[in-house]
Amino acid sequence: MTLALTGHGVARGIAIGHCHIVVSNELEIGEHRIAPDEVEKEIQRYRDAVQAAREQLTELADRMDENVAVPASEILQTHILMLDDSTIRQNTEQHIRDELCNAEWALQIQLEAVLFEFINMDDAYIRTRGEDIAQVVRLVQRKLTAQDDGRHFENIPDRLADTLVIATELTPAELAILHERGVGGIVTEHGGPHSHAAILAASLGIPAVLGVRRAQTLLREREVLIVDGGKGLVYASPDSKIRKHYHEVQAETRRFREALETIRELPTVSLDGETVVLMANAEREAEFNQAVQTGAGGVGLYRTEFLYLHGSPPDEEAQLAEYRSAVKILDGRPLTIRTLDLGADKLPQSLDFSEPMRNANPALGLRAIRLCLRDSDRFKVQLRAILRASADGPVRCLVPMITTIEEIAKVRSLMDEAKSELKRKNLPFDPDMQVGAMIEVPAAALALGELGRYLDFISVGTNDLLQYTLAADRVDEQVAHLYDMQHPGVIRLLQHIFREAAVQKLPVSVCGEVAGDRRYTRLLLAMGLRDFSMNPGRLLEVKQVILNTDIPRATAALTHWLNNPINQKSTLVETLDASQS
Amino acid sequence: MIAADVTVINKLGLHARAATKLVNCASVFNAEVTLKRGAREINAKSIMGVLTLAASIGTELTVTTDGPDEEDALGAILELINDRFGEGE
Repeated sequence: MTLALTGHGVARGIAIGHCHIVVSNELEIGEHRIAPDEVEKEIQRYRDAVQAAREQLTELADRMDENVAVPASEILQTHILMLDDSTIRQNTEQHIRDELCNAEWALQIQLEAVLFEFINMDDAYIRTRGEDIAQVVRLVQRKLTAQDDGRHFENIPDRLADTLVIATELTPAELAILHERGVGGIVTEHGGPHSHAAILAASLGIPAVLGVRRAQTLLREREVLIVDGGKGLVYASPDSKIRKHYHEVQAETRRFREALETIRELPTVSLDGETVVLMANAEREAEFNQAVQTGAGGVGLYRTEFLYLHGSPPDEEAQLAEYRSAVKILDGRPLTIRTLDLGADKLPQSLDFSEPMRNANPALGLRAIRLCLRDSDRFKVQLRAILRASADGPVRCLVPMITTIEEIAKVRSLMDEAKSELKRKNLPFDPDMQVGAMIEVPAAALALGELGRYLDFISVGTNDLLQYTLAADRVDEQVAHLYDMQHPGVIRLLQHIFREAAVQKLPVSVCGEVAGDRRYTRLLLAMGLRDFSMNPGRLLEVKQVILNTDIPRATAALTHWLNNPINQKSTLVETLDASQS
Repeated sequence: MIAADVTVINKLGLHARAATKLVNCASVFNAEVTLKRGAREINAKSIMGVLTLAASIGTELTVTTDGPDEEDALGAILELINDRFGEGE
């Protein structure tokens, strides 16, 4: 008979397979006294255990980074910081000295003190971080007691494809290992929607139901299970009706994914024969690799802010090394490097704590190219690095937040200076490297007729352009509903950009989030866009829409929709989809 | 010792990923880095300290740095917060 259990459905997807219960032995922490002359030895034992735990997590994080499981690597980094946190370390060592007790016990006392603080937090998300700290502390305690964490994982098979793992609780590290072995789905007794196991399962696409009480007792080893990660349901030994339903759902999902795989190698051409260019937005090495693997034509947006976020800005050689490694991975495919797009005037030398400065609206303040032009010498460091990278392969330079012709002229003259400086040093670069602008400011979009003459290409940053055009910040929940790609004003503005670019024969692409959102692909095609740049994970979905679109039909539907602003039963994107059948 | 006020503007506030970036950024410098929210003051090099601030979007913080590289440290921390921790355009 079917047994149905419920919990938190934290990661969508259906998994059908056999139940495997992972029993984790309860960690028993006892207290015992040590002699005063054993204190230093005990502290060393504690430090060794922390070191062993750190090595284990670091090694796993590196492996995850290579395997494109970036969120897993990031969560493990948080755990490593918790491991190294001075608060717990100092207090634990002090406790060993003062109380002459064993390290496991001293750590336990510190854990309880820290957990007490977290349990009293109002915010559910922050409260849940106490679980992370407990997991990290238990890892060290297991090292100390030689009840090594992960031992119970060594007994599970290398390949878990048809296996659904039932655990009391899973740490991000354990989940990462299960993912490597291809686990079908997971069920845990503890953990909620804010737990890192939940966040990680969702980002890795592992169907997961957490917080299923007594799951380990109620489920039987090897019995057939269905995990519905969207609804938070677990069916044990399901009857034929339930099985049939879920097999159908699963088959449909699989067909969609397989259909995407079959188009990987196809050229991106619409039904009416138009060729469309699909590029990737990339920043990390893993994303560059993914871009090449999914068949991107190149990288249309390489953000460089990450270079600046760890302390002082990097010098020319350090930047060049990053750019060169990107050019190398792309192997002849074009690379568009965007210059620094950091916000607000918060560089130390420009800090004055005057009231107007503090009240300034950062989105409308000194940022991106405005900030870079404040310090031309520092900006030229980046320009020289980009120029030098252009000697190795096709590189273009993209300047964010251009508003006026004067800004473009200034960038051009700094670029000329940078070229002369390189020439004097006999360093190679592409003398004809293209310089383009991000079109994000509505005034720049409307004045494209004037600005375009001084540019080699443009890239439309729809995220900011929409925010500025609609005067609505999409992360502000109070007004997020106004942030609408289908607003006629947004459509008119984008149409203007694409038409003006066509008149001037100015290459134009869109690199904002809408470019990778398949709901808007037909709309962008209908407006005239032929060059998309997006998160590489979205590329095949967008490609599939393009392969199934007749652009003239979509354009006709768009024109009709714009001319009949009232009495419309469906949204613009629905109308465009309907135009295709 | 120098200080500056800053408002948390990223959607999720100082959640784990942002807190991790902040602690990593602060730890690069020799200067002591503290964050203050109301009466509560914490060491910005401690992940637990930063998490227990529970700073959500709109929270005002005072960043204080003290040490030989205090200017660079303050600049880097403010840049990180104002850049929404690199979470999006």
